[in-house]
Amino acid sequence: MTAETSSGAFLASFLFLLLALTSAGLFYAVNAIRRLRRERDELIHQKEVIFGFIHDVGDVFMHSEDVDLDRMLNRVLFYAARTTQAGAGAIYLYEKGEDAFRARAVSGIFPPLSGTLDTQLEKAVSKSQHIERLVRAEPIERGEGLVGEAADFGVPILIEDAERDPRVPTFDQEFLRVRSILLVPMRFLQKILGVLVVVNRVDGRPFIQADLSLLQALADQASVSIHYAGLRDSLDEKQRIDHDLTVARQIQTALLPKAIPRLEGVELAAFNHPAQEIGGDYYDFIQIDDDHLGIAIADVSGKGIVGAIMMSISRSVLRAQALMSRNPSDVLKAVNRVMYEDIAEDMFVSMLYMVLNIRTRELVVARAGHERPAWSRASEKSFTIIDSPGMALGIADKEVFEATLREETVQLKAGDVVVAYTDGVTEALDADRHEWGVERFLEAVSTAAPDGANAVLNNVQQRLMRFVGGVEQYDDMTLLALRILQ
Amino acid sequence: MRECIIKREERENYDIVRLDGALDSYSFPRLETTLNGLRDAQRHRVILDCRGLDYISSAALGALIGFARRARENDGDLKLTGLSPKIYNIVELLGFHKILEIHNDLEDAVKKFE
Repeated sequence: MTAETSSGAFLASFLFLLLALTSAGLFYAVNAIRRLRRERDELIHQKEVIFGFIHDVGDVFMHSEDVDLDRMLNRVLFYAARTTQAGAGAIYLYEKGEDAFRARAVSGIFPPLSGTLDTQLEKAVSKSQHIERLVRAEPIERGEGLVGEAADFGVPILIEDAERDPRVPTFDQEFLRVRSILLVPMRFLQKILGVLVVVNRVDGRPFIQADLSLLQALADQASVSIHYAGLRDSLDEKQRIDHDLTVARQIQTALLPKAIPRLEGVELAAFNHPAQEIGGDYYDFIQIDDDHLGIAIADVSGKGIVGAIMMSISRSVLRAQALMSRNPSDVLKAVNRVMYEDIAEDMFVSMLYMVLNIRTRELVVARAGHERPAWSRASEKSFTIIDSPGMALGIADKEVFEATLREETVQLKAGDVVVAYTDGVTEALDADRHEWGVERFLEAVSTAAPDGANAVLNNVQQRLMRFVGGVEQYDDMTLLALRILQ
Repeated sequence: MRECIIKREERENYDIVRLDGALDSYSFPRLETTLNGLRDAQRHRVILDCRGLDYISSAALGALIGFARRARENDGDLKLTGLSPKIYNIVELLGFHKILEIHNDLEDAVKKFE
């Protein structure tokens, strides 16, 4: 072999390799673009679905005197199926008298989850109505099967490949096969109301974690409605007013975090003191991923039951949107788009939403017309008020809201404390109708800041209660604090 | 809180509504009645003189935005004047100064309508 032919062969094989690599690269690039496009389309689709759902639930409460449970459940199921692109779904509600769960709403060809269909019967039932009748007729005992499991433990269940899971019933008939299944509990306070189930995505792919999060958000919203509808049925007008107040209080209690998250390197503390009339304050902590924590505090403009429903809608919308972006301004923009479309024109929500990077200790703040948070630096005696332009949610259209909103980034250091609050704190009144005021509030914060977030909370609470004495307050008082640990 | 006194003054092509006292959830319906009356009479150019206003609830502020919006749809507006620093701060905090037109003096607002 001459040197020439060997270099020619080398060149040829080099070119071949290059071609192979390029086409493989191209193939991956095309696939990646396809995947991204699909993901983007899915995100857009999910947003549209959330729009629709919030609109629907809002509609049921704001514009209708009678809350029809079955109609609402069917709507919830319709949106649940659309959100997750599920081929079929069912809502099982807990029936007290029977101490069992029953399918109260069914859509698509939903297989009997108890798996008690015998082969003869299975062959005979070819029509979807027959299947539906079977599913509806069959009570599921507590702790029985997947529905019982989701209800008893109060946790969602996602089974991507259901055909390999022994808990999922198998059927010979192709149309009854469960390929992928998703179950989320419906709870109000500690009480299990039911279980929302969807099966088989229409595109044949398995359900994913994002489907679970969205479905749980829908189920949470629906639970508030189910609880409300169930109790209100049998009351007269006067009882209803009292009842509404109690429910408003229950909703508020149910929506506040049960526990403050415990995270490495950050101390978190929060309190909410509801007023007689229920002012509609709330706060929330959302774990976005391993490194990012979303922190929200909000004040809705309505009081009583309307305020409570508004609050629950804001919370669901925020929770759904928060998982889609780490930029608090993007999240608030998305929340506003939903709220502006669907809430009464004169109602609004002021919200402060911050995202803390637990690793880098960077805090990004976006403010939708809410009180500005105060930042006490370990190295300095004075406060920095973190200001960023923005306006309340739900009052301005996309253009005006988004042109105004800007986020602010601050780099926190060990020992720094950040406090956020609602106006109920600074505008608390004493017997002579004097306001507590921002100055006194910041003074209480700064005295306790070196001792940590919980110390700040305790000190503010003590001084505030001493100031107002026994005077009944008109507005909720909510405060949250975070401190960066060493 | 002081009960809110609401006085309406009709000018040639606009109206001045003077507020004196506190606007909360109990007194706001009366202002609503006044503003609805103006709208029904096709008088969409309104100036809210807030020099005597010492409190306004956030719900009332939200409702004012609704009135301003509908007035604008009819080639009019609802302008605010004479806000105390405290009330202006609340409006600014909520970002509503980006939506509502606010003037220091009544005369400035009047000029806009003339």
